[in-house]
Amino acid sequence: MKWNVGTKIGIGFAIVLVIFLIVGAVAYRNVVRQGEAADEVTHSHEVENELTQLLASLQDAETGQRGYVITGVDSYLAPYTAALSEIERHRTQLGRLVEDNAREEAHIDALAPLIADKLAELQETINLRRTKDFAAAQTVVLSDRGKRSMDAIRGLLREMSSEEEHLLKMRTDVAQLDARDAKWTIVLGTLLAVILAGLAGLIITRDIAAPLRSLTRVADRITVGDLGVTANVGERGDEIGQLALAFDGMARSLRTMAGAAEQIASGDLRVSVQPQSPEDLLGNTFVRMTDNLRRQIGGIVEGAAVLGSAASQIVASTAQLASGASESAAAVSETTATVEEIRQTAQLASQKAKAVADTAQRAVHIAQNGRKSTGDAVSGMERIRTQMDAIAESMVRLSEQSQTIGQIIATVEDLAAQSNLLAVNAAIEAAKAGEHGKGFGVVAQEVKSLAEQSRQATEKVRTILSDIQKATTAAAMATEQGGKAVEAGAKHTEAAGDSIGTLAAGVSEAAQAATQIAASSQQQLVGMDQVAVAMENIKQTGAQNMVSARQLETAARNLGELGQRLKQLAASYTVG
Amino acid sequence: MTKGVEAEQILRKRAQALARTPPPPASGTMLELLQFGLASERYAVECRFVQEVHPLRDLTPLPCTPAFIAGIVNVRGRVVPVIDLKKFFGLPERGLTDLHRTIVVRGHDLEVGLLADVIIGISSVPAASLQPSLPTLTGIRAEYLKGITDQSLVVLSVDRILLDPKIIVHEEVEG
Repeated sequence: MKWNVGTKIGIGFAIVLVIFLIVGAVAYRNVVRQGEAADEVTHSHEVENELTQLLASLQDAETGQRGYVITGVDSYLAPYTAALSEIERHRTQLGRLVEDNAREEAHIDALAPLIADKLAELQETINLRRTKDFAAAQTVVLSDRGKRSMDAIRGLLREMSSEEEHLLKMRTDVAQLDARDAKWTIVLGTLLAVILAGLAGLIITRDIAAPLRSLTRVADRITVGDLGVTANVGERGDEIGQLALAFDGMARSLRTMAGAAEQIASGDLRVSVQPQSPEDLLGNTFVRMTDNLRRQIGGIVEGAAVLGSAASQIVASTAQLASGASESAAAVSETTATVEEIRQTAQLASQKAKAVADTAQRAVHIAQNGRKSTGDAVSGMERIRTQMDAIAESMVRLSEQSQTIGQIIATVEDLAAQSNLLAVNAAIEAAKAGEHGKGFGVVAQEVKSLAEQSRQATEKVRTILSDIQKATTAAAMATEQGGKAVEAGAKHTEAAGDSIGTLAAGVSEAAQAATQIAASSQQQLVGMDQVAVAMENIKQTGAQNMVSARQLETAARNLGELGQRLKQLAASYTVG
Repeated sequence: MTKGVEAEQILRKRAQALARTPPPPASGTMLELLQFGLASERYAVECRFVQEVHPLRDLTPLPCTPAFIAGIVNVRGRVVPVIDLKKFFGLPERGLTDLHRTIVVRGHDLEVGLLADVIIGISSVPAASLQPSLPTLTGIRAEYLKGITDQSLVVLSVDRILLDPKIIVHEEVEG
């Protein structure tokens, strides 16, 4: 077995391929034969068909001839004339189809004169019927010449047909025999090819797959870290053998590396690994790793020392921090209580300020109403003053008119006095007249009495007028005083209105101020709430800080222990 | 109709009730007197001497005349002296007003005006009822007095006043 794997696989495939070629050739030959047999069967069927057609055409011609002979009408000749060309065509076709068969050709040659004789008989009867009459034609028909030739044609055609059937049977038998042979060839050939291919596959598998499986197992062991395995495939010069050698080399190299790593792991950093090649990634990495480890161990030793001192300092600081946090927590608690008190005070102040603002708002409304009322009062005073002026004017007019009345009264008085005098004079004259003037004297007496009455009346009127004048004067004075009082009242009302206006402005300002105070105190309250929340947060933060400080202390102690351990750890390494 | 008759009867009754029986006509001579007031006293003069009665107007005082001459007045174109009787009778003065009246009297070719405070009126008095002067009156009052009626009216005698030589003023002012 000095062949390599490729050669083995090629030989196996070649054997199977040859067998399949043989089977394919046999199958192809058979298919071709089957095709030929089918062609010959078709040919025989065509010949049969042509024979039948020829006979039918001859019968057609005879039928047309008989029809014409009986009737004498030309239209009955149509089958006859159509059959003439058909007969010729079928005869020629038959001749072409059977030219590869000598016996059949001889039959065709014998058929030709018979057909010609029959056609001539038919033509003759038709001509006789056309030129002479039915009886002449009947004599020819009755001579049995046509019947005889027709019977001969029929016998010949039957012979040809049986000949052709015999041929067909023979060819079909040959084709069936061939098909059976081909079937056996294909079945046996395929079976042989399958057996041979299975055999070759078995041999190749046994020769290649088994060593490959054992190599795969070796690789699996190496993957899980077992470097003590060797690839045992025997003495083989092919690719499998080479692969096993390469696997062994790899395992050896890895074992070397593992030894170095074992040494490093035990703390001996003096080991020096030689890289197998410049591309040896693991070797180079080992070299760099040992260098780095040496430097890092040095750094760790220094760092552990620093860490130890720092941890002790941190412990001290955290202790201070914890005590400070507890102090600040106490202070924060006091501050929170104070803030709560301030917040309550602010709330009270806010409520009061709101109440004051509301009151001020109402006061503003009242002041506005008051201003309006004083405005109304001023206008009312103005109206009263106008009325008083009108009254004073009326009084003046009244006074003037009473003056006029006084003058009239004086005139009437004067008239009364004159009348009196006149009456006296008249009486005197009457007295002078003596007895005759007595009546006149009475008249004069009456006139005097009238004058006296007039005087008394005027006296009364004057008294009344005087009273009226006095009353008028008093009324005028009262009116004047009233006017003055109204004026003063108007002034006072105006002053009051101004005062109320000032008051309203003041109250309005006060209301605004109160509103601002209310808003401010509200803001203050909110601010105090926020301060309280902030104090609460500070308190929580302080508590958290305390907890954190304790944790920090623990962490620092752990750090110190860590530094101690690190020192011990570094001491276990031999740096060299 | 009954109503009208009743109203007439009622009216008649009232008229009878109101009607005054005229004074019985005086027997003997009647004296027509013009009564007038001086101060608060009542005086009278006989009507036959009285010319007319005037209101005192445009009195022109005359200088260099006795005190009882109030002045002169123009009465229808005649210049008439006015005598203030109060000066004779010693009655209180109240000053002159146009309410004063002048009684123009005439007699014995003399025409004077008597100043009166108030003219009261004319009245007829039986001459027999006139009583002689009162013994209480003295002096000039008794001199000018004619009599006193039963109504205690002082009747002055115009004759005596006009015939009184004191009335005639004839004085010269030297100088």
